Amino acid sequence: MLKYISKRVIYAFVMLFVLSIVVYLIFGLVPIDPAQLSCGTHCNPVVVEANRHRLGLDIPLWHQWWNFIMGLFQGRTYGEGAAIIHCPAPAFGYSFPNNACVSEVMAGAFPFTFTLAVGAFILWMAVGISFGILAARKKGTYIDRLSTAFVLIGSSLPIFILGLLIYITAFLLHMIDPIVQGTWVSPLTDPIGFFKNFIFAWITLALAYAAIYTRLTRSNVIETSSEDYIRTARAKGVSERDVLYRHNLRTALAPLITNAGLDFGGLLGGAIITERVFQLPGLGYMSIKAVLRDYDLPLIMGTTLLAAAFFIFFNLIVDIAYAYLDPRVRIN
Amino acid sequence: MAEIKAGGSRNKVIAIVAAIVVIAAGAFVVSSKAGNKSGTIYYITNAQQLNHLDPQRVYTGEDIAFLNTYLYRTLVSYNPVAGKDSSKLVPDLATDIGTATDGGKTWSWTLKSGIKWSDGTDLTCEDVKYGISRIFATDVILDGPTYALQLLDIPADAKGVSAYAGPYKKTGQDLYDKAVTCAGNTITMHLKKAVGDFNYFGSYPAVAPVKASADNGDKYDLKPMGTGPYMIASFKAGDKLDLVRNKYWDKKTDAIRPAYPNEVILRFGISEDVRDQMFLKDTQPNAVNYDQGLQAPNNNNKVFHTDAKYKGRGINVLGPFVRYWTANVSKGHLDCLDVRKAVFFAINLQSIIDLNGGSELYGAPADSPISPSIATDYAPTTGNIHDSNWKIGGNPDYAKTLLATAKGSCPAAYAKATSSGIYFDLAKTATGEKTAALIKSAMEAAGMVAKFNLIEPGVYYPTVMNPAKQGDITRAGWAADWANASTVIPPLFIKDGGFNLNQNWDDPVYKDFAAKVSAAQGETDRAKQAAEWKVLAQIAMDQYWTIMPIFTKQQFEWGSKIAGVDFWMPNGALLYPSMHLK
Amino acid sequence: MAFPTEDGLVQATDDVSFHVDLGETLAIVGESGSGKSVSSMAIMGLHNPKTAKISGQVLITSMGSTTDVVSASSETVRKLRGGTVSMIFQDPMSALHPYFTIGNQVSEAWLLHNDGTKEDARKKSIEMLDLVGISDAKNRFDSYPHQFSGGMRQRVMIAMALVNHPKILIADEPTTALDVTVQAQILKLLKDMQKEFNMAVILITHDMGVVAEVADRINVMYAGRLVEEGQVDEIYKNPVHPYTIGLLQSVPRVDQIRGTRLKAIPGQPPSLISLPGGCAFEPRCEFAKYVPDNRCKSTRPEVEIKLAGHQARCHLSAQEVRSHL
Repeated sequence: MLKYISKRVIYAFVMLFVLSIVVYLIFGLVPIDPAQLSCGTHCNPVVVEANRHRLGLDIPLWHQWWNFIMGLFQGRTYGEGAAIIHCPAPAFGYSFPNNACVSEVMAGAFPFTFTLAVGAFILWMAVGISFGILAARKKGTYIDRLSTAFVLIGSSLPIFILGLLIYITAFLLHMIDPIVQGTWVSPLTDPIGFFKNFIFAWITLALAYAAIYTRLTRSNVIETSSEDYIRTARAKGVSERDVLYRHNLRTALAPLITNAGLDFGGLLGGAIITERVFQLPGLGYMSIKAVLRDYDLPLIMGTTLLAAAFFIFFNLIVDIAYAYLDPRVRIN
Repeated sequence: MAEIKAGGSRNKVIAIVAAIVVIAAGAFVVSSKAGNKSGTIYYITNAQQLNHLDPQRVYTGEDIAFLNTYLYRTLVSYNPVAGKDSSKLVPDLATDIGTATDGGKTWSWTLKSGIKWSDGTDLTCEDVKYGISRIFATDVILDGPTYALQLLDIPADAKGVSAYAGPYKKTGQDLYDKAVTCAGNTITMHLKKAVGDFNYFGSYPAVAPVKASADNGDKYDLKPMGTGPYMIASFKAGDKLDLVRNKYWDKKTDAIRPAYPNEVILRFGISEDVRDQMFLKDTQPNAVNYDQGLQAPNNNNKVFHTDAKYKGRGINVLGPFVRYWTANVSKGHLDCLDVRKAVFFAINLQSIIDLNGGSELYGAPADSPISPSIATDYAPTTGNIHDSNWKIGGNPDYAKTLLATAKGSCPAAYAKATSSGIYFDLAKTATGEKTAALIKSAMEAAGMVAKFNLIEPGVYYPTVMNPAKQGDITRAGWAADWANASTVIPPLFIKDGGFNLNQNWDDPVYKDFAAKVSAAQGETDRAKQAAEWKVLAQIAMDQYWTIMPIFTKQQFEWGSKIAGVDFWMPNGALLYPSMHLK
Repeated sequence: MAFPTEDGLVQATDDVSFHVDLGETLAIVGESGSGKSVSSMAIMGLHNPKTAKISGQVLITSMGSTTDVVSASSETVRKLRGGTVSMIFQDPMSALHPYFTIGNQVSEAWLLHNDGTKEDARKKSIEMLDLVGISDAKNRFDSYPHQFSGGMRQRVMIAMALVNHPKILIADEPTTALDVTVQAQILKLLKDMQKEFNMAVILITHDMGVVAEVADRINVMYAGRLVEEGQVDEIYKNPVHPYTIGLLQSVPRVDQIRGTRLKAIPGQPPSLISLPGGCAFEPRCEFAKYVPDNRCKSTRPEVEIKLAGHQARCHLSAQEVRSHL
């Protein structure tokens, strides 16, 4: 097992390494010049060149990449004289539009993204799985049809429409105050304020995801209920309740671990639309700003790699969890 | 000043959904909250942050007006009143609006005494001098106005690089120390040449003082220190800028700022649909829209500014901005007057105005690059929209006769116009794409071929300002940096002016034009100078360098508890100093 | 027993009546779809009450009290299952839960029907695993099903079924999925266990070879109906029903004359939705032509005693059948 995990960890690092190269290559090929962009209106070529130097873009792409990799371990220093800036390791670079090290920007954004992801995850897993089980047990009844409708609406309504619909409705009902919405409130000092900040965003994300999990749970439970070992359990005299919760769900929900892990890992990289609509300055919000407004390569690089790292990490978690749950995987 | 704000792309679907929600919630009675007079003024914006807070880097009219009112004080200020008198300068940190000597080559100001920083220390002349020196650190202090670089008497090399590299590198510090001197409380600036209106530059945050010990380069943009009535309590991009009272500010030294509110909060990142509802439903009576105008394509803007229900909560006013299309007249582009005229007469301007909200909200056809808001320098021109052949809906027949002339006079440009196609530069937004369709059909009607470079809004100006990437006709906008056409004609039409999209230095009339500009810049008699600008505007229009200009209108909205709101023309922004809660 | 479907009522079994005594092995033989498995599910009360309609009685007498599985409460039936009546299934590969250890699965069966601790259950289970021939049962208690071979898994299934010393064991094709050599071992184990616990065994199979080895009596089923019933020797010697004859001819025998081919029964079993009014086997029956007036087509034969301890559902007598062989 240990060997298996360490192999996967090494593999994960290789993936991130390759990804960093790919991201650099992509940005090397995009015909956008950050030096020109940050030059403003009264611009002349000399200022552009000076910017290029300051941004570290006046050296070959491979060298920029190498500096980036080294910065992760050693930290990096930008600028000269009184305007010197030091980003300690792990330095993902310096975000000029934010006037901060990328790691600082990401650290400031992460609590929003993390809270959003965790809350939404708990909500959608609870709703999706229980609704899915209920629908499977009541297959063919109105509850089952209700679940089908829920799945259809939840998975077909784009999240930006859903989010805006929920936001504006809540706002007009005085349940959201746009002025304070999204300003970080510590759960320790003001749990209610903290909760109010996130509840509608959680609901939005959870609705979209719960639909998928309802469908998955329902079909997995129904599929598993026709397995031979379920019949065996019944033949042993196991009650219907235990057949479902002990014998059926164990196998029916195991595949959901894969979805849950990857969805959660993906969300930790930032929920762009939900964060934007609900004014939550998380990683998704920061990356969309970096891409659309600022063309902020170091921040894009940082958020991309962080999102990928989360994704890869949760992939690993999923594999380990799967091995724990399914002895066939564990032993092989 | 350049037009920084590009129209955001708006999503129709969101709009429709929002509309449905609003209708659904229409029955719901919105109760107005009990008043809180001690309070806070909220400014609401969709933007995720202001472009800059660092005084030397701020360069958009609205941000200048806002920050100059609350956070910084500058040497001089625009008169904080509504109407024509607002373009007059009044003293702020200085005791007067500046004294010119040496025929306008040397300017000096004396600071008032008793002015303190928000940390309680005394403001010194050196602080003002240090602030201006930061403009020269062009690799750190980006995006701000660069008049100091061009005008202060510090040599520059052939490429235009100043011999002084700013206070961080300190290269050429002695040159700066010679050009800008402090004697007691008096700061003196030596210019390369006479500039009769240099004191207007003294109203820019770029000349706001910066205390050297507080300067931390890039990071200064996050929490600059000021001498104004408020100071930054907190700032977070995507969240808010929170300004609270600066207890070291002394009202006795400040005749400009009544400083009514206890707290000023600029709230970022509110989606457009939510923001619109806030003002339509007046859910935040002490809020002001910082974005200017509601979502135009959604009709919210029209409803707000035409329905009597909202009267007293909005302004719809002619602003300082001139939006226009500029012809790239360099060789191989539109180096043919007849073709430029043909395009001008072919375009259906009415359809473009209607697309952007109609004449009521967008503006009216203009006849000069100088806005009537600079009343001294503006005069109606002849020709262009006053030509008897011009029709607001386009005159394809007349355009064809002009093309026929062009066929003989400039065959290359004729071929471009009629077969290979004239390239229009446009922002790649929903509005931009619709505009392209309107232009295409108007051009076709006149027998011309229109092609388009649709450019991502965020990189629009950096792209078109690159001569290698600019098309034949480029959409742009400009407003005077201060109430003098010296901040319009030279930047737009002179080589290295800063915003010259005409590339007109090979145009037959350019040499004569440039000489006249130079003369006008040096003219110290304001009345004579105004007459010269009027002549130059006429030349630019006669050459059809600028085509289809629009004098644009601006809209502002606020909640029912806000009072004392007016339009501050020189900044194209609200008159922030007089705003207060009811 | 019938299942309403979109296409009509599926009459899975009709007019099926049989009994089995302690210590006795009854084999229910037939092709797939003949109703043999459905019958066994009904005995266990494992049919889905929502989708299956059942009429009649399943009476189980144990310790002097008789329970009707059909009319009893679901809780009563649940307690019978795995206690008084146990079952083992065809495919031991899929019949064990892949996520639980075999020990866990056997213990669960014990715990469901006995008051006792997990430790007691473990002890009982190891005993039982030992008894069914799992060597080193103590250590293999915590192994997972996939670590066992098919035959071993079937032994685990048997241990699980027998851990509560049931009175009736239903073995549904217990050897079909196994290798031939393993088949023999499992059949021997079943026989041994029957002796050990004095159980009634209902063996459901399509394999006449298996029947010959272990059964005391045979029920032959076709299209949801009992077509022949009798003592094993009797039926092997004197099969009366043409279908039984066909089945026996399709099995290779040691005493078979070399060179003669095995005979398959021609045709397909009928759909259970629209059974013909006459004999269900008539379309495939080689003997139908000997019955006058096309009676096989028009009249459904009733169960008749054809020979001593031997009854069948056929219009022909034992002698008539024999004469046409």
